[in-house]
Amino acid sequence: MEANTAKIAEQKSPSSLNILLRELVRDKLALVSLIFLILITAFVFGISLFLNQAEIVTVDLFAINEPPSDQFILGTDYGGRDVFGQLIIGTRNSLAIGFLVTVISGVFGIAFGVVSGYFGGHIDNFMMRIIDFFMVLPFLMIIIVFVTMTPSYDIFTFAVIMAAFNWMGIARLIRSKALQEKELDYAQASKTLGSSNFSIIFKQVLPNITSLIIVTMTLNLAQNIGIESGLSFLGFGFPEDTPSLGTLLAYATNPQTLEFRWWIWVPAAVLILLLMLSVRNVGEALRRAADARQRRG
Amino acid sequence: MSKAKFSKLLFAMMLVLLLVLAACSGGSDDAEGDGGGDSGDSGSEENNDSEEADGEIYDIADFSPSKEGEAMDGGELNFGLVSDTVFAGTLNFNFYSDVYDSEVIDWFDEALLEVDDTFTYTQEGAAQFEVNEEGNEFTFTIRDEVNWHDGEPVTAEDWAFAIEVIADPDYDGPRYGDVVNLVGAEEYHDGEADSIEGLEIIDDKTLKMTFKQATPSLLSGGIWSYALPKHIFEDIPVADMSSSDAVRENPIGIGPFKVESITPGESVTYTKNEDYWRGEPSLDKVTLKVIAPQTVVQALETGEVDMVDSFPTDQYPDVVDSLTNVDFLGRLDRSYSYVGFKLGTWDDENGKVDMDLENSKVGDVELRRAMWYAVDNDAVGERFYNGLRWNATTLMPSFYEIYHDDSIETPTYDPDMANQILDEAGYEDVDGDGIRENPDGEELVLNYATMEGGDTAEPLANYYIQSWEQVGIKVEKIDGRLLEFNDFYDRIGQQGNDDPDIDVYSAAWSVGTDVDPTGLWGPNVIYNFTRWEDEENTRLLEEGVSPEAMDLEYRQEVYSEWQEYMVEQVPVFPTVYRAELAPVNERVVNWDIRQEGQEILRYEVGVTQDEPVLP
Repeated sequence: MEANTAKIAEQKSPSSLNILLRELVRDKLALVSLIFLILITAFVFGISLFLNQAEIVTVDLFAINEPPSDQFILGTDYGGRDVFGQLIIGTRNSLAIGFLVTVISGVFGIAFGVVSGYFGGHIDNFMMRIIDFFMVLPFLMIIIVFVTMTPSYDIFTFAVIMAAFNWMGIARLIRSKALQEKELDYAQASKTLGSSNFSIIFKQVLPNITSLIIVTMTLNLAQNIGIESGLSFLGFGFPEDTPSLGTLLAYATNPQTLEFRWWIWVPAAVLILLLMLSVRNVGEALRRAADARQRRG
Repeated sequence: MSKAKFSKLLFAMMLVLLLVLAACSGGSDDAEGDGGGDSGDSGSEENNDSEEADGEIYDIADFSPSKEGEAMDGGELNFGLVSDTVFAGTLNFNFYSDVYDSEVIDWFDEALLEVDDTFTYTQEGAAQFEVNEEGNEFTFTIRDEVNWHDGEPVTAEDWAFAIEVIADPDYDGPRYGDVVNLVGAEEYHDGEADSIEGLEIIDDKTLKMTFKQATPSLLSGGIWSYALPKHIFEDIPVADMSSSDAVRENPIGIGPFKVESITPGESVTYTKNEDYWRGEPSLDKVTLKVIAPQTVVQALETGEVDMVDSFPTDQYPDVVDSLTNVDFLGRLDRSYSYVGFKLGTWDDENGKVDMDLENSKVGDVELRRAMWYAVDNDAVGERFYNGLRWNATTLMPSFYEIYHDDSIETPTYDPDMANQILDEAGYEDVDGDGIRENPDGEELVLNYATMEGGDTAEPLANYYIQSWEQVGIKVEKIDGRLLEFNDFYDRIGQQGNDDPDIDVYSAAWSVGTDVDPTGLWGPNVIYNFTRWEDEENTRLLEEGVSPEAMDLEYRQEVYSEWQEYMVEQVPVFPTVYRAELAPVNERVVNWDIRQEGQEILRYEVGVTQDEPVLP
């Protein structure tokens, strides 16, 4: 019996994490994207340690709309504020919000989905109706109203507000997977052996759907950065003294800026595009890895 | 001689809805470092004059206020109302309160009395008048050819009816102050009389008004000269009038165009009123639509609108060379921007301001003066507006040539002076964080309210906040953001329920044709947003409109004294005076953007070709 187990362990197929990594390395585009993402994140968070947000958003009457120069690498905006500094801090803020929203909504969504799927029956029915309810809410409108009503908020509370309307997708996905998993032999066996529901969910079902979770959350990250930038662009994100990629883009709604002062908005636009594409490339590669039929490696 | 269209100019100054400043709570940790730079700043001040390196500085004197030419018959015109928000849609001179509404009303209604370039009533309008020797009894005769758009003649009864409605206790508009000078208006308002004693209808077309007091203001806009069609409004209870269809959906007037259709808040279509008493208008149709300040240039360039009521001056330098299909007209604006301090609340019960300096964080005049010294308005005018706004001095802008007093010394940018004043007044930095505490050693944080509008709103607000922080006064944007226009005015008290959290605010006033500032500074007017009053002020205001003030020199003296007193007391300080630019498409002719001494009247405006000129 002991020998048997050892043998099985040796022959064990590669862990899902390994598969994901292997797929990433095989897909050159995804690899480059991943490296780019890591570099950008490290760069932005690193540099912003040395930047002073208060100084960057300080209005300077004598440096309004300066084109790029030695002093201002990317010029200044209509308040005489350094665009480069705003870009760095804006990217950091956008990434931080995107990441926070993904994690918060992910954790909640997964817990909700897995519980709903695992227990099934009336509990499932009830929990799914809750999800249905949240899904019919026009969440962008609600976030906008909420943001307008709240006198002041910081990055964390803003992320919580966004996450509150953003967890249903992942919850549904996880629930359907959990429904399948709990019918499989290993879960049934574990149950027969008297394991508690808690331990089955966290020690057995969850590890088996890790790859799905990673894939979904990666793809969600891109989506959340997009939503945050969109809200800031419309003026329902942060005020101008907390820059985000969206606020920089919003400067382009002024036709003069759009036409004559590219340095204010083009870098932000390009950066958003690159970030989105990179996250998506990585996410797609992971998704393929999670599905044996599409795997390349 | 030249005459002026009196349309929107009301005797009382009224609030205009203009750009303001924003605020923000930028990091406070750096105040110390910035404070050290103060001496450097004052040194750089000297350089301001020679500084023209980037951006040309323009001067309003180089613009013409009107444009003439040969118009074709008929034609259509698109008029852009530049606004961030929708217009409220109270489309009657007797009820409206916001300047966008008045722009809409101007096309289809007008005052019965005309004014000339000194804002004095003339005999050129729809009504003529005689005045007795004491100057307090006026007899008006309405011209026979003046009719409402529905064909009914305008009668003396319509005019008297308008005044009765305004004086009615149920009236919910802001104009009661404009008729209170009539004999018996107060008694009628308080329900003690069934009619207004000072109004006497002599015959169908003749109305006699008796005023309590002859004042110089009477002849320069002190008479309520907008009629209300009684045959339409008489069955509507006064309290419901401002929300009735006759005001909101099918408004009528006596002006050169009739309202054909209204898309609430967005656009209005007018057709010409062939029956207009001055003669047939040149245009067949006018369409007015709201356009956002950000898209004005595109709308003009593509010919979507032929002209706009006012052009965001901060965009001018960028487009002056590229926008070739329009002519820019310009004039001195009647409005100025200011920073105000909340010094009390509105007592709704007694209809007066309730000043409370003790409990106001900005109750100390020294603090207010220091805040004036701390901001560099010349730099703001040159940097943000390329000279199309400039440092303001007194509360009577240079628009009032004969009353504006140049000789008064007002604080200009001098941070050292500001620091000195604050030190002497006991605002010390007790805990060493670079921020001054109040004389009792308590933390002092002022809440700053300002509204969005135009692209410079946010940086401008931030600039003011920084300037104050440099002298150690901590100011934060209320709610951490700019307020929407209507929300802003509600919170600083246009309805009387002031937001107690606001200490400082930025706004802009448009001043009336009559120089009398009572409409903004009287102790009984709701538009006295600072809720500041004192005896000296009340005395000066009263003297300015007393019978003795019929003598121009005396009146000038009183108002000089008042301007000086306001500089001493600083309930508000003016920041910049403004120029107003109005671009018109090349095909538009016979248009005059002046509001006083207009040589071309609205019904004459025409076009030279069917399609707008494109670049």
